Amino acid sequence: MTVTSDFPGLLIYWVVIVLMMIGFYIVISQNNMVKKIVGLNVFQVSVFLLYITMGKVKGGTAPILADGFEVYSNPLPHVLILTAIVVGVATTSLGLALVVRIMDSYGTIEDDEIQALEDDT
Amino acid sequence: MNTRMQQKVVLRVVSKFLIPFILLFALYVQWHGDFGPGGGFQAGVIFAAGFILYALIYGVERTRQVIPAWVTRSLLSVGVLLYSGVGVATLLMGGEFLNYSVLAHVPTHGQHLGVLLVEAGVGITVFSAMTTIFIAFAGQDS
Repeated sequence: MTVTSDFPGLLIYWVVIVLMMIGFYIVISQNNMVKKIVGLNVFQVSVFLLYITMGKVKGGTAPILADGFEVYSNPLPHVLILTAIVVGVATTSLGLALVVRIMDSYGTIEDDEIQALEDDT
Repeated sequence: MNTRMQQKVVLRVVSKFLIPFILLFALYVQWHGDFGPGGGFQAGVIFAAGFILYALIYGVERTRQVIPAWVTRSLLSVGVLLYSGVGVATLLMGGEFLNYSVLAHVPTHGQHLGVLLVEAGVGITVFSAMTTIFIAFAGQDS
């Protein structure tokens, strides 16, 4: 069974790379810090997708022992990504908390405006 | 934002109708995690989603009356304590840390009990963490 001959083929790698580059572009091109965090999350989701699809076994079911099923998907990448999702939520909330603090002390969350304020002083 | 939300009768009625089912589904995902897809992380997030929906519709102050700060704060540690408590209990009963087999006379029963308790701990902590994070952000300007 060759992977490349089936319909989805290597499509998922393209999806992952496109999503990753979209996220990366948002992070470097946007001045708004909330948008930067959204970009980081898109980047993160691309990595999640890569790992989750890696765990898929053709014809496999959920890895729960039951009669009549012999092929199971690999649960290890899924568990790894479960942890990564939790870490992602934690980093997102930490980033948003930092944005809130920056808003409190600068009155703006635009990167260039903060830079201008810094240059003035 | 909240006063505007409170005027939306459809949203208020529909969410009031939905919240019990969201909480029930969270409990199903939590306790069915042994036999099917599910577990503490997912159940905690779904359970928290019910409270977050309530906070979105009725405002943060009313949510804090439903679930005060000291409740979420203590639940955060209760979950971690439950998880590590199971580990310490297995140590005291003669197994390795988190070796569930020693929890009951029959090893498989012990494993069932251990996973159930550990997942309950995870669910409680994830639920209170999600609600705390949301309310901490949403309650900024009040």
